Amino acid sequence: MATAIRTEGLTKRYGDVVALDHLDLEVARGEVVGYLGPNGAGKTTTIRLLLGLSRPTEGRGEVFGLDCQLQPVEVHRRLAFVPGEANLWPSLTGGETLALLGRVHGHVDEAYRDELIDRFDLDPTKKVRAYSMGNRQKVILVAALMVRPDLLVLDEPTNGLDPLMEQAFRHCIGEARGRGQTVFLSSHVLSEVEALCDRVGILREGRLVEIGTLAEMRHLSALSVEATFDSAVPDLSGVPGVSSVETNGRVVRCQVRGSIQPLLRALADADVTELVSREPSLEELFLALYGEDGHAR
Amino acid sequence: MHAEPTVAPPVAAPVRAERFPGTVVARLSARRAARSGAVWGLIFGLSIASSEVSYTRIYTTQAERDALAAAYGSNKATSALFGPAPQLQTVGGFTVFKISMTLMILGAVWGLLTSTRLLRGEEDSGRWDLLLTGLTTRRGATAQALAGLGAGAGTLWLLTAVVSVLSGRGSKVGIAAGPSLYLALAVVTTAVMFLAVGALTSQLAETRRQAASYAAVFLGVSYALRMIADAGVGLHALIWASPLGWVEELQPITAPQPLALLPIIALTAVLAAVAVHLAGIRDVGAGIVADRSHSHRHLALLSGPTGLAIRLLRATVIAWWVAIAAAALLYGLIARSAGATISGSSVREVFAKLGAPGTGADAVLGVCFLVLAVLVAFVGAGQITAARAEESGGRLDHMLVRPVSRASWLSGRLLVAVIVLLLSSVGAGVFAWLGAASQHSSVGFTTLLGAGVNLVPPAIAILGIGVLAFGIRPRTTSVVVYGLLGWSLLVVIIGGIGATNHWVLDTSVFHHMASAPAAPPEWEANGIMTGIGVASALVGGLAFWRRDLQGE
Repeated sequence: MATAIRTEGLTKRYGDVVALDHLDLEVARGEVVGYLGPNGAGKTTTIRLLLGLSRPTEGRGEVFGLDCQLQPVEVHRRLAFVPGEANLWPSLTGGETLALLGRVHGHVDEAYRDELIDRFDLDPTKKVRAYSMGNRQKVILVAALMVRPDLLVLDEPTNGLDPLMEQAFRHCIGEARGRGQTVFLSSHVLSEVEALCDRVGILREGRLVEIGTLAEMRHLSALSVEATFDSAVPDLSGVPGVSSVETNGRVVRCQVRGSIQPLLRALADADVTELVSREPSLEELFLALYGEDGHAR
Repeated sequence: MHAEPTVAPPVAAPVRAERFPGTVVARLSARRAARSGAVWGLIFGLSIASSEVSYTRIYTTQAERDALAAAYGSNKATSALFGPAPQLQTVGGFTVFKISMTLMILGAVWGLLTSTRLLRGEEDSGRWDLLLTGLTTRRGATAQALAGLGAGAGTLWLLTAVVSVLSGRGSKVGIAAGPSLYLALAVVTTAVMFLAVGALTSQLAETRRQAASYAAVFLGVSYALRMIADAGVGLHALIWASPLGWVEELQPITAPQPLALLPIIALTAVLAAVAVHLAGIRDVGAGIVADRSHSHRHLALLSGPTGLAIRLLRATVIAWWVAIAAAALLYGLIARSAGATISGSSVREVFAKLGAPGTGADAVLGVCFLVLAVLVAFVGAGQITAARAEESGGRLDHMLVRPVSRASWLSGRLLVAVIVLLLSSVGAGVFAWLGAASQHSSVGFTTLLGAGVNLVPPAIAILGIGVLAFGIRPRTTSVVVYGLLGWSLLVVIIGGIGATNHWVLDTSVFHHMASAPAAPPEWEANGIMTGIGVASALVGGLAFWRRDLQGE
């Protein structure tokens, strides 16, 4: 499968601060990839390097085989970018902004643009100055989607959108996937990433600590188990693989890593009335990677 | 899995308590206003000192001073432009005539820009909202900001006063401390009034630019009324209809009339009170005069980054053109009558010492074109700071993530800037000629056109050095261009005093410009200035290509 994005040892330092540390990343064509990490992990730095807005200290990045730094214009013809903060020209109207950005890009699917304006419920005669933050965000979303690029690079694109509009956004990304467009979605709305993405990369302090499908990542993480007892609650804290034991009356919640056999044996002697086990959500995976002591596993 | 956030034990940590939490806004505004007030106070003081010292050096005998007074004392054209000149045979009278109108206008511009920046500008940026969540109200915060602006005006007066008192103590100048303090007060009163005007327009308008434009219109009308009053056409009573007229009626040094302070104080107080009142009845972020929030599509210029630059800059550039054309026209109008008074008199030598050799209208225009050169250089500085503002505001990102290269974006903007500078300069020449020709002056069209084109090289140098700063240290762009411009102007003003180190003089972009049309343009020097500008721009452009885009 041909690649849409490839980085090799991509590194960015600001003085002594390492914003991105030897990133090796590959995104295949037609994939929808989520890019997660807490604030300051290097998500936006990665994107600005790929877009040629910042210059790497080391390493290189490619988009569709084109060098991001040396052939920016060719790269930009094939992609569209949505930043998380919509700084637009306050004196232009939304419609004028779309016309300008469309002409600068070159080709616009006008029918689709009008459909998007409808779908996002945008008033294009209004000046940017008079828009709310969410409406400004809609303008740049429409501007990116209307050119139907081969690659959509989105940096926290749903900032300021209400839940209805976020739904409309998810619908559009689904359509883009259906048309074979590649999507690179940096976000900290985990439910959004969980709903949309084929693969997820997790970044921490400038390093890619995890990348894979959700299913793959779940194997790496713990299973949540909740057991309700009829009588005495046994002590589960010593059972191999079991951690984070919380007891609340007759209900015990815990995490199980690796084989579940030791826990089942421990429960076999107790009077269990209800047993629920569930795969971790992306949020739990994320918190497992960052939470507690604040260090990646 | 997810640890509960640990609650910090209630340790008696040494929290630094804000002693007067209710005065944060006042102190914040005071700090910012006082900083620029100090810089401009120094410039005001040095202008006064330079004028006083140069008078005592150039007009050494009583005969020369009497000749000057006879020549200009009753000239209606200069009176309309700079105000009446009742006592040119004294240092003080000359200084009041030579600089007070210029300082009054500069003070007004400082006042309106400072107050619109610290009131409407803060609101535009959203910082005002943050301040209002503190221990204050909308009215309270506005009143506090006004108090801060007052501190800025106080600093302006203090620096102006200190320098002019020191200069007045010079043995040849001999102006007592009292009159020097009063002179400093007079030139600062316009700043105070226009701080209040800016405060009011900041309540009326919805954007900072609009607020500044409303205040500028008020300034223009004040100046025009005063001009008619002083033009000797029997309408002198109009002087009381213009705030600038009141300041003129203070008559520092020549015939002090402190009663004229009354309307000045009254206007300032009323405007400030109305501004505070209006701040309480409107929504934060909105103006009393609603901005049009909807507009029809105007797509003509929105074809690419260069067209966009033209569209965004056109209002500002047209305002500059009107100002330059009006100034050039006025200079042309007065050139002949002002020039007639110097030909054949001892004043001719004096003008030669000021850098404008020759006689008549040519000599007068030679000095006037230096003012036009400063205006054109301001236009050049504004072009590169506007480009930087696109980057720092994050709007440049939208262009550069599309198929637009950094080289084409920057070169498009610079092309627009150069065309704007050329048109400004040619316009200055043409309008000066129109004014001069209407008075049947002998200065030819091609001479004035040449004098106009002669204004381009200093502006190109400023623009080019601005691009260099933009490429290498983008956050310093504005400081570099306006610093260089202010420094160049200061060097020219101080250079007028007399002998100065040529290494210092050489750092002024205006020093190398021949004072056309009094002297023929020096094309070699112009070529070098332009070359410096182009080379700096090329290096800056390369640095821009290599660096990261940077926000504020």
